[in-house]
Amino acid sequence: MNLLRTICAVLLCFGYTWMTTAAELLNADHWAYHPPMEIAGDGIDEFVQQRLKASGLTLNEQANRRTLIRRLTFDLHGVPPTPSEVVEFLADKSSNAVSRLIDRLLKSPRYGERWARHWLDVVRFSESQGYERDKIRPDSWHYRDYVIRSLNADKPYDQFAREQIAGDVIQPVTQDSIKATGFLVAGPWDEVGNGQRSRIMRMHVREEELEDIISAVGQTFLGVTINCARCHDHKTDPIPQADYYSVKAVFEGVFHGTRTYLTPGEVKQREADAVRLQNAFNKAEQRRRQLKRQAIEILSRRKTPGQSPLRPMLRWTFDEGPDDLVRGLSGQLRDGAKIEDGRLILDGKKAHLVSAKLPRLPKTKTLEGWVQLNDLEQRAGAVISIHHSPGNVFDALVYGERRPRAWMVGSDFFKRTLDLANKESEADQLVHVAITYGDGDTITLYRNGRAIGSYKPRNPLIEFEQEKALVYLGRRTGSGYLKGEIEEIRVYDRALTAEEVRGSFENGPVLFSRDQLVAALSRTEGKEYRSLIEQTAGLRRQLAEARARPLVYAARTAKPKPTPLLARGDIKAPGEIMTPRALAGVASLNPHLGLNKESSDADRRRRFAEWLTHPDNPLLARVLVNRVWHYHFGTGLVDTPSDFGVSGGRPSHPQLLDWLARQFREDSWSIKQLHRRILNSAVYLQSSTFNETAAHKDADNRLLWRFPPKRLEAEAVRDSLLALSGQINWEMGGPGYRPFDLEINNTHFYHTKDKIGPEFNRRTIYRIGVQSLRESLLDSLDCPDLSTKTPVRGVTTTPIQALALMNDSFVQRQAQFLAKRLRDDVGENLRNQIRQAYRLVFGRSPTLSETRRAEAHANEHGLQQVCWVLMNSNEFIHVR
Amino acid sequence: MNEETPLLSRRNFLWHTANGFGAAALSWMMQRDAFAAVSPYSAKRSHYAGKAKRVIHICSTGGVSHVDTFDPKPELAKRHGQEYKDPRYDPFFGQPGRIRRSPWGFRECGQAGVPISDLFPHLATCADDIAFVNSMHAKSSNHTPATFQENTGFTINGFPSLGAWLSYGLGSENSDLPAYVVLPDARGLPAGGSINWTSGFLPAVHQGVAFNTQAGVEPIPNLRTPDSVTGKARRAGFDLLADFNADFSAQHPHDDVLRARIRSYELAAQMQLSVPGIVDVDRESPATRELYGVDDPDTLGFGRSCLLARRLSERGVRFLQLFNGGAFGGRPRVNWDAHEDLVDNHGRQARTLDKPVAGLIKDLKSRGLLDETLILWTSEFGRTPVTQGLTGKGRDHHPDAFTVWMAGGGIKGGMRHGSTDELGFYVAEKPAQFYDIHATMLHLNGMDHTRLTYYHNGIQRRLTDVHGHVLHDLLV
Repeated sequence: MNLLRTICAVLLCFGYTWMTTAAELLNADHWAYHPPMEIAGDGIDEFVQQRLKASGLTLNEQANRRTLIRRLTFDLHGVPPTPSEVVEFLADKSSNAVSRLIDRLLKSPRYGERWARHWLDVVRFSESQGYERDKIRPDSWHYRDYVIRSLNADKPYDQFAREQIAGDVIQPVTQDSIKATGFLVAGPWDEVGNGQRSRIMRMHVREEELEDIISAVGQTFLGVTINCARCHDHKTDPIPQADYYSVKAVFEGVFHGTRTYLTPGEVKQREADAVRLQNAFNKAEQRRRQLKRQAIEILSRRKTPGQSPLRPMLRWTFDEGPDDLVRGLSGQLRDGAKIEDGRLILDGKKAHLVSAKLPRLPKTKTLEGWVQLNDLEQRAGAVISIHHSPGNVFDALVYGERRPRAWMVGSDFFKRTLDLANKESEADQLVHVAITYGDGDTITLYRNGRAIGSYKPRNPLIEFEQEKALVYLGRRTGSGYLKGEIEEIRVYDRALTAEEVRGSFENGPVLFSRDQLVAALSRTEGKEYRSLIEQTAGLRRQLAEARARPLVYAARTAKPKPTPLLARGDIKAPGEIMTPRALAGVASLNPHLGLNKESSDADRRRRFAEWLTHPDNPLLARVLVNRVWHYHFGTGLVDTPSDFGVSGGRPSHPQLLDWLARQFREDSWSIKQLHRRILNSAVYLQSSTFNETAAHKDADNRLLWRFPPKRLEAEAVRDSLLALSGQINWEMGGPGYRPFDLEINNTHFYHTKDKIGPEFNRRTIYRIGVQSLRESLLDSLDCPDLSTKTPVRGVTTTPIQALALMNDSFVQRQAQFLAKRLRDDVGENLRNQIRQAYRLVFGRSPTLSETRRAEAHANEHGLQQVCWVLMNSNEFIHVR
Repeated sequence: MNEETPLLSRRNFLWHTANGFGAAALSWMMQRDAFAAVSPYSAKRSHYAGKAKRVIHICSTGGVSHVDTFDPKPELAKRHGQEYKDPRYDPFFGQPGRIRRSPWGFRECGQAGVPISDLFPHLATCADDIAFVNSMHAKSSNHTPATFQENTGFTINGFPSLGAWLSYGLGSENSDLPAYVVLPDARGLPAGGSINWTSGFLPAVHQGVAFNTQAGVEPIPNLRTPDSVTGKARRAGFDLLADFNADFSAQHPHDDVLRARIRSYELAAQMQLSVPGIVDVDRESPATRELYGVDDPDTLGFGRSCLLARRLSERGVRFLQLFNGGAFGGRPRVNWDAHEDLVDNHGRQARTLDKPVAGLIKDLKSRGLLDETLILWTSEFGRTPVTQGLTGKGRDHHPDAFTVWMAGGGIKGGMRHGSTDELGFYVAEKPAQFYDIHATMLHLNGMDHTRLTYYHNGIQRRLTDVHGHVLHDLLV
């Protein structure tokens, strides 16, 4: 077989005619690569019953109504049915009550949230980079919302697949189809590895990156482990090593990163808008400034001269632009920094101002600023940083770097830094901050005119030589960006005294109020000035909108580099350059995509996506219907849902799998229709009653002689506890909640915290997916490692899990809230409270004996303790 | 399971179930062996008899310089100060450097006379128990991928760590405790954080359970019953829960998983009682505390970890992973990443390691446990024999040559395996990789690394991928 494969691999290089033959030779013996059989059959029940009959078995009778609504609601929504939903369903005597229930559940947006979680498992979706730094990707959540929206809208699956491979380049391009390509880069990304000096090591990192992308594409959509052929021909499947590198060539132009999710059309429109708005703005602004200058002149003449006796060396007021006013040192606005109303506006992302090179600045000096912080939780941004290059030596006035909310004297490697006790408490107010670097190596930090602390640094003070240093405003050397507005900045070439600092604070930045300015002007001009302020502010907002390019973490593309075949996967052993194409093993399709070694990234991915979703691709539909089956029954017809290869599982019901795949395509790839077919079947609706004879013949229930009972997944447990307690916050979409405290010390450390508040009571799918975050409750219930492609979750039962459900503060709190809710729902009568508790948690009323025992317990220890028992019980956590 | 416990007694669990539990289920629950069969941590059969029964893996994070610790290079002293030029040389931060002698002397230790530097006066007295592998080389010069390779065999995310594999292969000797326990350095997590003890694609039950190593803090999350719940209420709650669960099981008598869950609550209650005692190192004699240095501020942190490791290992925890070295970032550094100042950094780090780990070896030996406990000491890579930068005082990352060692559990002590070239730059003889260390570790525990496999997305995965050779000359 190895010889055969080698021959085929060689033949594969010689064109399609040969390839067809070669591919046929290879896959002749494996079912998955054949087109689905044309099956005469009458649906799921017939196929399942055929096999049961052959083993002398039958389906169970239909489960009772209470069991069904609980089963279906958990299955489609991941939360229990409410008591009134149960009552309503039981009261529905029509013959199609069950299918109406299924339709109702499929229509609810809860459905998309529940099933998106399954999809995100398969595609290894995470919202942080992983590896050493594990930084958050703040713009990844768009992909999660895209999946939820797509499922809720019942987007045809072929389109869903196509968009995730090439939605940014296949017409019609929409915001959603761009966000879809977040799929390609949902895996880990090695920031440090990508930044290292060694070229060979960087190439190695890039190989790993592409393997992640290729294996995600292969496993998710095709159930094919292309990645196994990176170093040698696939050991079992018809995938020669050449195929790996040909598919790699398809994705060679894809990189991790952020891009805008605006469509090219929208970008064009905004560009045009921006030009128009800018012109209008310039006109109005010019006139406004003219009037302002006029007014300032008048006011200044009235005021006594020498208004700033401290004589700063540099001074920015931002009234007339980004330049320093004392020496005319020029300033440039970078990365979205703006000046509005005499303030420097900083977005905390990358916006900052950078000055021209400075004259000499001695060891003794003062940095002073008036600033308004727009976010008190921001970290490590600087108001001002005097930056000496080369060497990255700097002195800076930094906010919230080593300690949250604290002002800090920043310096290279913290050489002249000492943590001082202070805590900023006022957002959106002007704060005066200053650092003096004085004689005897003494540094003093001031806030609002008062010294926070004074110290001698570990290393001596430094002097900045002439023409070697520059000023950053809004940025600390490196990448600390401030979110806020700077009113004024002053730099002195001497250390101000404490009295001078206090005086400066008390005098405030020289600033005339709007009313003063208006009053100085004539009546008409004053009126005009007021209206111009409104006008320019409005235009600024519109301009900001037109200039905004909102981001998504998705495929960033570049011209693809050549893709050599690497012998043994070794980057130091490059061979022949590969032409991008698809897998030859799928014999029903032409793997040649009409591409060549020069084809653009867009053409490569577009053609591959077309190949992938071609109606004659036997794998796409089979793999998807099997996944859906897996989540409904706990085991797929093929029990390895991401591997339909030779070493994967064999289908338990091959005919049923093919029938479903064909129906799925005939139903225009409608996933909801697929759910309906499965959920309305007698196989799904049968009871889970155990049958000893059947178990003897088929212990694993692969023949489906009963409905397989399931334990709730981690997310369903948490969501259900919130739903039961009434605390759940159903808000959909947007950035996820962050149940941790973040500590940044080169690496990002996520310290798990049970945070309280509505924001943290959202469904678990909205928890931000940080790779190194550990949450004992969810982890103990088998939440997978986010960086791992997880087509099947483990189901384990451990004492660690028991401890979490017993003692976790979140569970305790939900038990407490459930008790409160019971009182709110049904009043003070204990018996009614217990009945309501059973209806909520189990979807049934308690027996007399249960009521008696629960009552006794509540009387002795409180209702909350009864809620705790129910939330820990097997009946709650198992669905039958 | 022999002790009666105030929180949860067998009586409570068993006799309260009389009103529903089938007789079959009752007799099943009464059998200790059957109990073990459903414990997720229960022991499994090895491939063959192994010398070791459990493993203590010590990871010194940041990259320990081999030429300053266990691999002396007199040639460095001869050529000290010369600029080093070699086209193969590709250091992480890319700065050229000068050849630098070790600031520490080396002594021939033990009867066999293996060399250990003056950084480790205590460890030097254990030399005859230790086998050094001087010919290690690794794939990455970057902390995180290198640490992943050290712990999982792969440089990328998502693969199970050593402990997870051993837990999967052998289970635990003590069904009251997890098979795989991690003792992170109290000064912060290693590069890649908790990914270093992930179960990857193995069932989550094999994930390392990280104990909090600080004194006075709950050692395992959720171990304590909340203060708001009285002991009496909790006991009654357990009884009621057991009742209700028993009723439910009686309706579904054939569903093992329901019984396993009842059992897991019993185990959890056991852990609540036993773990605080196990982690209470104050119960140790002053002599033992002195042996590990837990009363000295320099050695307190890692000394506690080592002492805790012995206590947990004594109770049958299969795999203990100890981190010696805290988080990256911040100055001065709290791990072995000696870029700036080798003398200061390795001097301080060696003090944290030396006495505690020597104490651990001696303590296990005196208790007759060393023969069945494998101690594995590793670092993700070594450090350059040259300085980082022409004027630097530190050494850069160096994956091309470094040293790891093993002791106890079937290891022949007082020996060295392989060697490096005269400057310690590259491996000269018997090159070894983490695959080989992992294969040897499994072998000593009675597992054939080519047969311990798990199917995942198309591949029968192994800890050692397609590599790995048992280092037979290290074995007794």
